[in-house]
Amino acid sequence: MLEAEATADMLLMTQSFTAPAAVTEQRPEEVLVRAVLNGERDRFARLYEMYAPMVHGILLARVPRGEVDDLVQDIFLHALRKLHTLRDAGAFGPWIGMIARNRAIDFYRSSRETIEVTEQMAVARSPNRTAKEILDLICRLPEAYRETLIMRFVEGMTGPEIAARTGLTPASVRVNLHRGTKLLREKIGAIAT
Amino acid sequence: MNDNYLWDRSGEPDPEIQNLEEILGTLRYQPRTLEIPHDVQVGRRRNLFPAMAIAAGIALLAVLLGLWLSFNRRQAPAIEVKTIPPVTQPVNPATTSHDGQTPIATVVKPPKQIGVQKQREAPRNLQTRNRNSFTPTVIRQPELTPDVLAEKQQVLVALRLVSAKLNLAQRRTQGAPQLNQIRNQHKIG
Repeated sequence: MLEAEATADMLLMTQSFTAPAAVTEQRPEEVLVRAVLNGERDRFARLYEMYAPMVHGILLARVPRGEVDDLVQDIFLHALRKLHTLRDAGAFGPWIGMIARNRAIDFYRSSRETIEVTEQMAVARSPNRTAKEILDLICRLPEAYRETLIMRFVEGMTGPEIAARTGLTPASVRVNLHRGTKLLREKIGAIAT
Repeated sequence: MNDNYLWDRSGEPDPEIQNLEEILGTLRYQPRTLEIPHDVQVGRRRNLFPAMAIAAGIALLAVLLGLWLSFNRRQAPAIEVKTIPPVTQPVNPATTSHDGQTPIATVVKPPKQIGVQKQREAPRNLQTRNRNSFTPTVIRQPELTPDVLAEKQQVLVALRLVSAKLNLAQRRTQGAPQLNQIRNQHKIG
């Protein structure tokens, strides 16, 4: 009987058996979204700073580079207007990423001429491996790898940052980075030879 | 390929990846200030709670009203039926039997009360409530004076006699024997 009581006391004294403190930490974007919805419109600029590179990367993988900057602005303005429709304030990244993808699709629906020019430019080969050529090679990769590689190599984001912004799991991002880079190397090697 | 460097730029740098970073870094996003036009309004979440509360209240009231109406309909106002005891008429010498010994006593049944509903069974408290809220309607026949009643009875007895005599005459004309119906009732039945 005494042994049992002693064991119970020891268990209660250990940290693992004490009640965990309520962790109510909010992610920064969640706080910002709530602030904007409560009328602090200026706080949206911070969200823009945080997520503009990601949106830029998503658009760069889909639309001509000359159109990307204007589209980024349009997408954020659209997001500001529709921010009240975002149910989970912590999911701002995936939400605005989806808006960017949809906007890229709309862009191609509205301007087919641009597609033809882009494809011609992508097919053209140049002896110098410029940034544009490599970007075109990345754009020919499967969609899952395209965005991740652009965010990593163009926007300079690390794997954990990509996972945090896009809402993907770190494991998925890691796999996409590894396989995408391998495929890109093969394509660059094929062009070189 | 150094996976750690590719993942989070930790560990030994991979020269090929560094080269890609340098080339593609020229396309990096150039920070621009977001110009928010003045006409852009931040959408507000619609607070649907008041509307939902009003709708729920109206629905609740409708349900309660329906229940109350159906309950009241089931407990319709009970009408009390007053039973009037049969009135025995005094023996009238004109209505004595043929042998003149046994007078025929006529029993007047109480007139049927038209439009009077049979009282339904209901809980006592409801009955008392109904009594308080509704006045029972009793249809009363006009009261007849004893003279009028006696005349009425005379007419009725006369009619019966005439009817009996007519039946007898009919049987005789048809040639059928006059049967003692009471005695032969088992044969008929």
